[in-house]
Amino acid sequence: MDRIAFIRDRFAEFYEENASKIEAPSSISKREFGFFTFQENIVIRHKGFVSVGDLRDFIRRIVPSHVYYSAAYYEMPEEPMENKGWLGADLYFDIDADHIPTRCGKIHDTWRCRSCGFEGKGMVPDECPACGGKSFDEQKWPCEICLESAKHEALKLLDFLLEDFGFSLEEIEVSFSGHRGYHIQVESEAIRELDSVARKEIVDYVTGVGLEPTYHGLDGSPGGRRVKSGPCLDEMGWRGRIARGVHEYLLSATRDDLEELGLKKMIIEEILSRREEILRSWERGGPWTMIRGMSIDMWRRIIKRAVEFQSARIDTVVTTDVHRLIRLSNTLHGKTGWLKINVPADALESFDPLSSAVAFKRGEVTLYVREAPEFRLGEETFGPFRDVKVELPMAAAIFLLCKNAAEVVD
Amino acid sequence: MTLTRADIAKYPFVSDAAEEIRREDLDIQSLDNPELKEIVDRAVERIEEALKNNPPKVSYREREEDIEIPSFPVAIILAAASENNYLKRRYALAEAMRAYELLREEKREKFLDVARAFNWRIRSLTDEVGGRRFDFAISFIDYLRNARSFHESGFKLVNRPLRRGEVFLTKREAARLLREEIRRRIESRLEANVRSRLPESLLDRVEALNRRYASSVEERFIEELSGGMNEDALPPCIRELLSAAKDGRHISHLGRFTLTSFLLNIGVKPSEIVDLFRSSSDFNERMTRYQVEHIAGRRGSGTRYIPPSCETLKTHGLCPGSSDICRGVNHPLAAYRRRVRTFKKPP
Repeated sequence: MDRIAFIRDRFAEFYEENASKIEAPSSISKREFGFFTFQENIVIRHKGFVSVGDLRDFIRRIVPSHVYYSAAYYEMPEEPMENKGWLGADLYFDIDADHIPTRCGKIHDTWRCRSCGFEGKGMVPDECPACGGKSFDEQKWPCEICLESAKHEALKLLDFLLEDFGFSLEEIEVSFSGHRGYHIQVESEAIRELDSVARKEIVDYVTGVGLEPTYHGLDGSPGGRRVKSGPCLDEMGWRGRIARGVHEYLLSATRDDLEELGLKKMIIEEILSRREEILRSWERGGPWTMIRGMSIDMWRRIIKRAVEFQSARIDTVVTTDVHRLIRLSNTLHGKTGWLKINVPADALESFDPLSSAVAFKRGEVTLYVREAPEFRLGEETFGPFRDVKVELPMAAAIFLLCKNAAEVVD
Repeated sequence: MTLTRADIAKYPFVSDAAEEIRREDLDIQSLDNPELKEIVDRAVERIEEALKNNPPKVSYREREEDIEIPSFPVAIILAAASENNYLKRRYALAEAMRAYELLREEKREKFLDVARAFNWRIRSLTDEVGGRRFDFAISFIDYLRNARSFHESGFKLVNRPLRRGEVFLTKREAARLLREEIRRRIESRLEANVRSRLPESLLDRVEALNRRYASSVEERFIEELSGGMNEDALPPCIRELLSAAKDGRHISHLGRFTLTSFLLNIGVKPSEIVDLFRSSSDFNERMTRYQVEHIAGRRGSGTRYIPPSCETLKTHGLCPGSSDICRGVNHPLAAYRRRVRTFKKPP
């Protein structure tokens, strides 16, 4: 049976039964909706709905592969872009494993050179090692490490939003994207009308772009090279983050890491041999003055790494785009067959997307799987597969079909 | 609100001032009434001071509330009637500068009253952060609305103490921020369409201002650079994007927009830009041509786009780190134009 037709049938059954669980975004009549359909990958944009009932009916009828709505509010959402009448937008953050250097090295992802067919694993290279070609077909897989890394970034972002920006838990909605990341949405009257220049400042704050340590307590003698003091671990905002990031760095840095920073040999020896003492120094003002020969410039290099640890890696374009379409919760992601689902912000730490986002819970299908890495859904682990015929539970089967890694065996 | 008449004379733009005027019953058609001459004279003088003083600044006259208060709305009417953008911008700035200097001398309570007249969510505090004393905490929303036009790194949000939604400021910094709010408020009032209702004699005075200061108006024209691009003058971000395009490497959507709008603005022809993207693996001539022409303003809304600023490029990871070419500028086009000019200079 045709792969796409099979997926579409399952999506149709799913929505027939579960469309009622789709909730309307606030002010539904002021939002633009967009859909991808299975047939010929058509995009339907500029749709508006006055009630959630109409929206659910529409989804049941067209059976989309992806459902989006605008973070923005418009006077007339169905008009062309320039006539819509922008009224404001929620503050939106997208965290995707694609933007995070993960411990797995994306070794589960594969790519294939379009000109010579050479294949490889991991991040896509700039050019094909075999023929120098520059264009590739990619196959991306979500793995536990990718998802954990994305969650870690989301938790850091939450801390910024709650502690620094002062949003309340009621204003923040966290969700699993249904693929490789998390979304965080802030819905508050106060931020609705912020333009993209103001949103860019928020982006720079959470990513640490343009951060200058001397505004956060790194204090040198005027014109001198020595540091007099620095921020402490328990301080709020970026001051505390810098201190904690420096602590984390000094705790774990290897000789190679320190050499990479370009520190002098003598200083590296001092850091490595006095590590315990340096770490204990946080109890009384921190290590800012205790490493001999350490100039303000060298501290800056360490702080730069600290900021990388502490900042939240978000897709910067999504947050500054005030017309962005975003995936609607409780709808299916066409690349996985998983649900985008909301997670209470205070339950994020223990949240398991690979259990909670499973949509298809009934039936088995026999597939011919070309290639797939090991993956887990709920309590069960599947694969790795290579050129095998295998009977799988529906959720696992839909996942592999959506990933275009398998065909249905009739 | 506990603003006295003396306060309103200092800060006539707060909403109470508008009420004051209604009470004085000043309407536009009767501004040529001889009884109002003193007020109108002072109004004209306010605008003159804005145009004459450098930096632009209106003076403050103590204990002359009867003139100071009503002359402000009259000056607004006259400046709006000039329909001269230079005059309007300069006047708004000059009034804001006047308020700024007065605000810096005010007690905290008074400062709060003025700030709250603009609906700022602000409170007084005496906290120290790392040995630095701050005077006010203001909601980050009010902060961003005004600090956006400041380019100093110290005003970037990421470099401020920000706690539970509040930005900490010294009085001087808060006054600077309020100055910007005042400037914008006045500038927006100057958009009023009043010219047709103004009595003849006042219109003459407005025209006199326009004429008298026309010569000092610096009309800045964007230098039209012809003869295509000077590769040696390209800032590193554009150089990087250009070489990626030539090699057919992947460029993000924003990267393509930056490169295209930059090249269009320095006079490269759309057809040449389309050719540049030819080595891209997903090149589609029709789509590329459409997009380039759209950015050039030949399609769609007709807006001709300019590339993003250095700051925006940094945010989105498109700034490879600045070079000599970029020193002291905040826009890739500015870096390029300056470099081209220095090339043109005879040795």
